Amino acid sequence: MTVTYPFASLPENLAAFCALLRSAYRFRIGPGELQDAARALTIAGLGSEQAVRDALRPVLAGRLEEAQVFDRAFDRFVLGRPDLRPELPARTIPPGHESPPRDTEVRTSGETGERPGTPDVADDEPGTRSGAVHEVADAESPQAATLVRSSYSPLESEGAVPDLEPADREWRAAAAVLVDRVRARLSRRWRPARHGQRFDFRRTLRSSLHTGGDVVTPRWRARRRREPRFVVLVDGSRSMGAYARPPLQIAVALTTVSPDTETFTFSTELRRVTHDARRAAAGERRPLQLRYAWGGGTTIGVCLDEFLRRAGERVLGRQTVVIIASDGLDVGDTDLLRVSMETLARHSAAVMWLNPLAATAGYEPTARGMQLARPFVALLAAANDPAGLLKVAHALRVR
Amino acid sequence: MIDRDAIRDRFREHGFIVSDQFATALQLMVALAKPLLLEGPAGVGKTESAKVLAEALGTRLIRLQCYEGLDALTALYEWNYPRQMLRIRMTEGAGGSIKEREAEIFGEEFLLKRPLLEAIMQDEAPVLLIDEVDRADEAFEAFLLEVLAEWQVTVPELGTIRARRTPYVILTSNRTRELSDALRRRCLFFWIPYPSLQEEIAILHARIPDLSARLAEKIAESMQVLRGLPLQKAPGVAEALDWARALVSLHRDHLDRTTLEQTLACVLKVREDQLLLESQPDALGAVLDDARPLEPGGRSLDTDFGRGSVSTPRR
Repeated sequence: MTVTYPFASLPENLAAFCALLRSAYRFRIGPGELQDAARALTIAGLGSEQAVRDALRPVLAGRLEEAQVFDRAFDRFVLGRPDLRPELPARTIPPGHESPPRDTEVRTSGETGERPGTPDVADDEPGTRSGAVHEVADAESPQAATLVRSSYSPLESEGAVPDLEPADREWRAAAAVLVDRVRARLSRRWRPARHGQRFDFRRTLRSSLHTGGDVVTPRWRARRRREPRFVVLVDGSRSMGAYARPPLQIAVALTTVSPDTETFTFSTELRRVTHDARRAAAGERRPLQLRYAWGGGTTIGVCLDEFLRRAGERVLGRQTVVIIASDGLDVGDTDLLRVSMETLARHSAAVMWLNPLAATAGYEPTARGMQLARPFVALLAAANDPAGLLKVAHALRVR
Repeated sequence: MIDRDAIRDRFREHGFIVSDQFATALQLMVALAKPLLLEGPAGVGKTESAKVLAEALGTRLIRLQCYEGLDALTALYEWNYPRQMLRIRMTEGAGGSIKEREAEIFGEEFLLKRPLLEAIMQDEAPVLLIDEVDRADEAFEAFLLEVLAEWQVTVPELGTIRARRTPYVILTSNRTRELSDALRRRCLFFWIPYPSLQEEIAILHARIPDLSARLAEKIAESMQVLRGLPLQKAPGVAEALDWARALVSLHRDHLDRTTLEQTLACVLKVREDQLLLESQPDALGAVLDDARPLEPGGRSLDTDFGRGSVSTPRR
């Protein structure tokens, strides 16, 4: 067996290998890990291929899934064996690597089919709208982007965007039940509290020092309730058109009950409509201006991935329940969908998938997107009316 | 510095068989002074490996068992309040300024050291086992990050205590909850799988010298089969060892269906799993010494008490 390394020296090869793991397999490897990997090699020695493998794996792979992928990546890089079934496509462009010219090209190609004078929503973050398109277009060909765009007509869909309306009483009541159900889980941690169940010896003693050791004010500790947080992702693709109102109502109702709720809509693009939902919750009727985040095809994976990158760290957490309202009819990248769903499930209390079709008798989640997402979803149900949401609230099991 | 072969040998001396991969991971953990995060199915020896490592390195093992609601104080230190209170009462009227009295009450003799502080205050680097870290909540994990990075603890009344020697840290997790990326990044990671057939035979021999070669083989083979079944709780190495010990204490030198039935409780600990195995009598057919079908009623009639040797004690 002849072994050919891409570079002449070990450090370069090691750096290149780490770069491969990072880009193609999404390992989280920083300079620190790279340094540790180099040290690990000096400790374990370069005696055999197996020794190198065994030394690098504990350092570079951080979880079981990564450890499983590691060996294949190692084969591919060191031994030049082709990775026949890549776990993940090497597609995602990290933010900041997008080249400006391509960006503008995509923008213009998109805007040709669009009603002139459609205003941009103000809270749109710079550079975000290009990200999603690039990934669909495989990063290299702006033509492909045009193709994705031209497969539907934005003109046609614009009128179909429903307004965000204030939620009526029934929706609000159902949403309140959902929030309560999630909140019901107490934190196990004891915290100082004015009126608590447990005597706080430490703080009592501390405060008694001021009174010469006489306990004047007893201090208490209590368990605090965890305040839940909700993220609603509403699929606005054309296939969802007839069912899109209930999820928006849920979003507004949840925002009314729990003001931290974040709302996004997506179709081939993701858009944050949290502010609109808040205004609607305050009793205002909000027309939505969504452009590509409504009425097109669906690339759930790309949009979820964008959500994770844009808002993931800020919004997700152990107390966050993610609600995805979609029929799961997906035309996008399957690997990306699976990975995004996995990340989403890992970083949240539960992922709830509201599929309007699930209300139909005899429904089976056979749509490709649905099948991929199923293992990561805590609850798959329909909630097309307040009663449905109530049922969902009682069925949801949070981690 | 301890090298891979030395680790393997010393572990073997303590009856613990480690694979090359695991030995390398342990070696790196000692050499890089980074915590080692162990994950794997229940009963593969995650906790045990920390104990053996402490013995192999000739240091103390300090164990912090995590549970939901575990907070920083329970893990770090606590003041001995009743004793403090007593001292205050006893020295009442003895005079002295408030400052003096405070210094007295918050002295080291009133400090109850919990595992983390204990580990930090050792003169020789101990092995610190943080067991089942996935059971603690995220706030504790964040706190742990700080301790594992800095190896110093600030007790407001005493000041900052810095570790004299960085402890060797082993964290174990059963994956009941996803650990944060931040924690994972600070650790080396090793997944302990179920042992292979050969490894398991070696483990059985190393731990139970009385076990016959034939029986060890049978037990290991059965384990391989059982782990392939869709059980709720697949038996780990711990179960295999229990089973082997049970068979040895019953003076069995072969594994037949009757023996299996009598000792099944050592291996399958969930009723549903036992029923599943009963519903699939052929699953272990190839492994057992007699492929004889069961008598109607489930239990074979000619109970073999091991060729005239001691029977099971009855009361």
